[in-house]
Amino acid sequence: MKNTIEVTNLVKKYGNFAAVNDISFTVNRGEIFGLIGENGAGKTTTLEIIEGLRKATSGNIKILDLDLNKNLSEIKSKIGIQLQSSAYYRYLKLGEIIDLFASFYGQETNPKELLKQVGLEQKIDSFVNNLSGGQKQRFSIVASLINDPEIVFLDEPTTGLDPISRRHLWEIIAEIKKRNKTIILTTHYMEEAEILCDRIGIMDAGKIVAIDDTYKLIKHAKHPIRIKFIAKNIESLKTKLAGIGELSYIAGKEYHCELILNKQSELQKALKEIHAYKPDELTVSKATLEDVFIELTGRNITEEESV
Amino acid sequence: MFKLFKANLKMMVRNRQALFWSIAFPVIFIVIFGLFFGHDNTSSGTITIINKSKNEISIGVDRGITESKVFKITKIDSIDKAKSEIKKGKLSAAVYIPENFGVAGPDTTNKIKIYVDPASVQTSGVLRTITDKILTEASFKIQNVQPLFVTEQELINNNSKNNDFTYFDFVLVGILGLALMNGSIIGIAVSISKYREDKILKRIISTPLKTWKFVLAEVTSRLVLNLVQIALILSIGIYGFNGHINGNIFVVVMLSLLGGILFQLVGFTIASFAKTTDAAEGMAQAVSIPMMFLAGIFFPIDSLPTWLSNIVQYLPLAPLLRMMRTVAIEAGSPFANPANILIVLGWILITLTISLYKFRLTEE
Repeated sequence: MKNTIEVTNLVKKYGNFAAVNDISFTVNRGEIFGLIGENGAGKTTTLEIIEGLRKATSGNIKILDLDLNKNLSEIKSKIGIQLQSSAYYRYLKLGEIIDLFASFYGQETNPKELLKQVGLEQKIDSFVNNLSGGQKQRFSIVASLINDPEIVFLDEPTTGLDPISRRHLWEIIAEIKKRNKTIILTTHYMEEAEILCDRIGIMDAGKIVAIDDTYKLIKHAKHPIRIKFIAKNIESLKTKLAGIGELSYIAGKEYHCELILNKQSELQKALKEIHAYKPDELTVSKATLEDVFIELTGRNITEEESV
Repeated sequence: MFKLFKANLKMMVRNRQALFWSIAFPVIFIVIFGLFFGHDNTSSGTITIINKSKNEISIGVDRGITESKVFKITKIDSIDKAKSEIKKGKLSAAVYIPENFGVAGPDTTNKIKIYVDPASVQTSGVLRTITDKILTEASFKIQNVQPLFVTEQELINNNSKNNDFTYFDFVLVGILGLALMNGSIIGIAVSISKYREDKILKRIISTPLKTWKFVLAEVTSRLVLNLVQIALILSIGIYGFNGHINGNIFVVVMLSLLGGILFQLVGFTIASFAKTTDAAEGMAQAVSIPMMFLAGIFFPIDSLPTWLSNIVQYLPLAPLLRMMRTVAIEAGSPFANPANILIVLGWILITLTISLYKFRLTEE
């Protein structure tokens, strides 16, 4: 059993609008699979159909070799879900919530042990409303682990968090992966997807426009290399570099230039040309997932905080 | 399931403010109605009896009026003082029996004077009727004759030993219904749609927990609250304001709990249609307010226009109250009219089906 999730020709229509338009993909056992895309691209809808929270218009879904339509209850007991911006009971303590949800799965659990995994063991007797944003998010992740699931769904786990909390959460997610669980997550932070995900599917307007190993997606970017430098009077450079790549000014700042190359093999030639202009500072970098994303969807991702 | 039941109770107790009001609301109602219609105050007004003559007949009149329990009697010594009290509006009427009433002798009189406040039309009317009746009976007795024509009253459908039932007893049952309806419909509708808004519901649906278990835990935990409300209303009504439950009080409590279940399911039904908490609150009000005024909480529904009472009697609250009153007031069987229990069970079935079906998916 290599595939833990197998989605075939999935369609979800609201009236005439196809929120999910005939997508197929698989998720391998033990990997972190990321679905990325703009808000409204269909990520959450796709996820919620797989979780059994919404009904598909058509298509087939198999989870752990079980048919979603026929074995929903069994599937629910084998998956753990963290919902986008979901709250928990206001008048129950963290330990009590974990206890209660464990009973929904017909299981006993050790709340302290679970909370320890996300560094919240001190908060076992606190109420959810007394937690910070990062702590709430950590709690909602640990709540998805209550039934010791084989597959964990994380829907925008780091949205609205500060950079430190976000990095802390990445560590936690990596820890979960180490325990041999398969993770599917959605995010609109490209950096996050690039760091965490083994494989990525890029969604745009209900379709999957690209799906591959993360590093391969980036490798196949149209402009795999970019060179940033600061130099004056570069008008003549533009013509020299024509055909190798595109030269532009960064965000309208004079002297701050960026050259994106079509091929890695042109790097030496490009550097030689630029050095002739005695640049202040020069950095060479690979394309990022964000570059690939913009190439594929034709626009920059809009970060909306859905707190 | 039992854990959810326990957790629900815990949350109920921790949400102090909501708990306080869900108990205070029916208590306020019962106290207000108790003060208006409870024991002493069932009177048609306050009067005084000034008896200057101390013969058998005058004492009989005095006792007769007092024992009719229709009025609240206060003690005032002089007729002048009584008149001024009437003018101040503190007294509705005064009965004055002069010294020479019914005595043998030349300056005897056969008249008892009643001084009334013109504003208290009802009091004066009732007082005169009662006094006249006592005097007539006394006259018959002295003349040693039996009245030729009499009336006899029989209460229909009444198995009770205790026949005095007051408007307060009627309203006491109504307030039980009101408290259960208000607390349960609005309480469940609002809290469940809040769960939906906070996505708690969605999170629960993502677990293998069966819908019926969720509904059962919610309903049973709220029944505990209902039981507290019922106990408070009944004990304040009975011990504080002299209300009566003539039939089996256990059956009344059971019927109330049945009502609790019914109204909670109505709340669930509303929550399954409402998209937001605000909408749920509005819908719950829209369902419960017409029933509050029309389904017989404060007055019998037969005083409504026929077309309206024809509709109202099929709403959930009306048949429930009819059953409860049959037991509480007439000491009858709740199944005396099987249509009542059938309507209530019918509503339970309908709302239960909708709740179970609509809660399976959070979809759209």
